[in-house]
Amino acid sequence: MLENEVEIKSSSELVKTVEGLKNDGYRYSTMICLKANDGHDLIYIFEKDNKLKNLRYFVKPGEKPKSMSGIYLCALLIENEYQDLFGLTFEGLAIDYKGHLYLTPNSPKSPLA
Amino acid sequence: MTTIIPFGPQHPVLPEPVSLKLELDNDVVVGVLPSLGYVHRGLEKFIDTKDYNQTTYICERICGICSALHGITYTKSVEKLFNAEVPERAEYIRVIVGELNRVHSHLLWLGLFADGFGFESLFYECWKYRESVLDVLERITGNRVIHSISKVGGVSRDLTKEHIDMILKMLDTLEPQIKDIEKVFVNNYTVKKRTVGLATMSKQLAYEAGTAGPTLRGSGNAIDVRETEDWDIYRDLGFKTVVEKDGDCYSRTKVRVKELYESIKLIRNAISKLPNGEITTPIKGFPTGEAIMRTEQPRGEVVYYVKGNGTKNLERLKIRTPTFANIPSLLLTLPGVKLADVPIVVLTIDPCISCTER
Repeated sequence: MLENEVEIKSSSELVKTVEGLKNDGYRYSTMICLKANDGHDLIYIFEKDNKLKNLRYFVKPGEKPKSMSGIYLCALLIENEYQDLFGLTFEGLAIDYKGHLYLTPNSPKSPLA
Repeated sequence: MTTIIPFGPQHPVLPEPVSLKLELDNDVVVGVLPSLGYVHRGLEKFIDTKDYNQTTYICERICGICSALHGITYTKSVEKLFNAEVPERAEYIRVIVGELNRVHSHLLWLGLFADGFGFESLFYECWKYRESVLDVLERITGNRVIHSISKVGGVSRDLTKEHIDMILKMLDTLEPQIKDIEKVFVNNYTVKKRTVGLATMSKQLAYEAGTAGPTLRGSGNAIDVRETEDWDIYRDLGFKTVVEKDGDCYSRTKVRVKELYESIKLIRNAISKLPNGEITTPIKGFPTGEAIMRTEQPRGEVVYYVKGNGTKNLERLKIRTPTFANIPSLLLTLPGVKLADVPIVVLTIDPCISCTER
């Protein structure tokens, strides 16, 4: 558990919370992806007035998380990175490299998964 | 009708490979698609085979320009997992080496930028002055590029009186030299003609685009990790965030020039307040839990996430580098720019592809 962390239970709650943070003037810093209980934990990191706020969302196996690039355009690179490295599929990505931001067709698939 | 042309991955202004597919209407950019991955090294996976101390050496090798600050950020993040109290002298030495790192990085960038618009003599001057910083770093750390100063629990080398005298003497020589090149970067007709009003990002746009460092501060956002509690030692050193309001290539350049003076001031203050004592504290056991650590690299905020599971290896290391945060801003600033100005705009985010391609 990180400092100032909020656990998000559903995809719709995540979108609503991120929209709310943007309206409150939070800057998108980055997102962390890690393996957790057959699925993945996504930790969204936001910053305002030099303080971090973290949202943790558990992605169930087979679930396609919603892209935040429609709210914060800058989310597109990190989401594409996790499509490559963890084999996730983000729905609604502003620019979708379809698993080939870093990886070539001959690369190992989802090397961090 | 539009034309697609490739900018990179090999291009005279890019020391490292990154590609932009530019969509042009005549000679004006109307669309951009960045393409990465030409030299991706998979270092976040590689640390699976290294223990948490060895990972320090991997992090220092992410980038040859901001190597010291990568090492410092990583070691500080692991120290958070241990709740370790690092000797104050070690923290001051980290600041001194980190700021020397920033000075040489900004001089390197100013040289590359001058080269980007064909001002070769200015490029030579910047890089000539940078050499004196590298010489000092080599003498005090034993290494010219990968300084290897920070380790979990403190620093690997102490500063002697000879080192301190050498740093102060170098700064006394360097400061007037920076004033000389500042006159050119700030006042020269050609430089202003190529940079003023180019690729302007408003304060709000730069903030919402998640930019970092001089790219963010050049648009009027006074955000610098050195003002946060993550690295609170800077508060004692009189740090002031450098901000420019206009949001164009000229503003981003001025931020970097002014930050050189700020770094010199910080180094002098750190030396004057350098406490006596130990430079390392023993760390025992293996890390557990999660931590996030941020520091301000020359290109902006770097974010390290570490997760330990009680073994010698970290379960997860994630690094968000400043260039990774700044690349999406090109999608917003390049449309409307003429093809001839694209290299200037790309250079003003100070792209470090080594960092991006961890």
